[in-house]
Amino acid sequence: MTGGPLSWTVNGRARAVTGVPDDERLLDSLRWRLGLKGTKEGCRSGECGACTVLVDGETTLSCLTLAREVDGASITTIEGVGSDPDGAAVRRAFEAAAAVQCGYCTPGFVMSLTGLLRERGRSVPPEEIAEELGGNLCRCTGYVAIVRAVARALSEPP
Amino acid sequence: MAPFELVAPESVDAAVATLRAAGGALPLAGGTDLLPDLDAGRVDPRRVVSLRRLPWRTLDWTGDSLVVGATLPLRRLEADPDVRRRFPGLYAAVRAVGSVALRHRATLGGNLARAAPASDLIPVLLALDAEVEVVGPAGARTVPVDAFVLGSRRTDLGPADLIRSVRLPESRPSAYLWQRVRPSNDISQVAVAVAYSPSRRDWRVAMGGVPPRATLLSGAADALEGPRPDDGSIRRSAERAAREAALVADKRASEEYRRRLLGTLLARATRATVAVEAP
Ligand code: FES
Ligand code: FES
Repeated sequence: MTGGPLSWTVNGRARAVTGVPDDERLLDSLRWRLGLKGTKEGCRSGECGACTVLVDGETTLSCLTLAREVDGASITTIEGVGSDPDGAAVRRAFEAAAAVQCGYCTPGFVMSLTGLLRERGRSVPPEEIAEELGGNLCRCTGYVAIVRAVARALSEPP
Repeated sequence: MAPFELVAPESVDAAVATLRAAGGALPLAGGTDLLPDLDAGRVDPRRVVSLRRLPWRTLDWTGDSLVVGATLPLRRLEADPDVRRRFPGLYAAVRAVGSVALRHRATLGGNLARAAPASDLIPVLLALDAEVEVVGPAGARTVPVDAFVLGSRRTDLGPADLIRSVRLPESRPSAYLWQRVRPSNDISQVAVAVAYSPSRRDWRVAMGGVPPRATLLSGAADALEGPRPDDGSIRRSAERAAREAALVADKRASEEYRRRLLGTLLARATRATVAVEAP
């Protein structure tokens, strides 16, 4: 079934999206209807975090979210994260720490860390950080550089 | 995935009526468990009834008891400092569910209603004597969680029933510990929830991670004496747990490995509970 158009604010722009079937995932709407292919599909089952976006500021797995369930929401993807001060700081930290190998996991990590900064600020206890970001997997296993990027982002004022 | 119709009723009555009217309808809360099952064809509803418009994203304290609305995202539960302080076992169990992004959508009601055999929340709900508040065509009723969960993916819910909330009758020093092959994206081989009830002056011990469902271990609980059981009491409790628990072998662990894990986790969880400052 397909209901009426969805209205989202995507990366700060109002978007009306038509023809979305009831069973479509937010991930597919972003990639194929809006052409925002920075959001990646890894596992499609909630295990890898590659599809992470912000929905009303909260980290959300777009592969496990029906597009229609978040009608009216404000959505931030990797394409728009740089205009958020926290997101820009995270991006700089990933660049400075060279925390990117193939880059497939990077959008998910950047969104998760941006969401974490928004939600909990920069005072997250160090022993909780691994658990906070444990939902993002890097298949290149470049975690050492990613951990450095996280430390940099947390120590840098926005 | 077969196409289904998604509806989002504005009221509880409308949601129940919709579930009742459509044969083959399923409720949707956060969707983190239902959507993979839809993909895999394990469920095939004609209609999916979203609960997103129902006023159930609530967290209500009355004295030291807590009522958690069925559709409150788990992340909101763990973010409440009083939950962390007064129900440390629940806090630990919530943190064991999926990842942060998943917990922004996953709900307590959904976890209970879907009753996965390895649910991280059901053991601690058992140890806290949680009560499930159900609404449906026959009105509202309250079911102790032990009677609510019937087996793997089986509950006391009728086809048009919904969980409205879960009530935790009293704050309890508690702990939840688990063992997994891969911590971040696997399910537990064995998990143990332990809680001490200040009002009843007795313990609850529950085991999870072992199919078909989480269970209370009453012999192990009875072996724990007083609010600060000594090492001998903890050892006897772990031995009784290993004897009374119905353990199985599957791809995650052998029966013997589970038996040893159970004793170890139980002892650690009990010591962690004793170390909790009274809430
Ligand atoms: S694609 Fe969504 S979690 Fe892997
Ligand atoms: S950089 Fe390749 S998956 Fe992480």
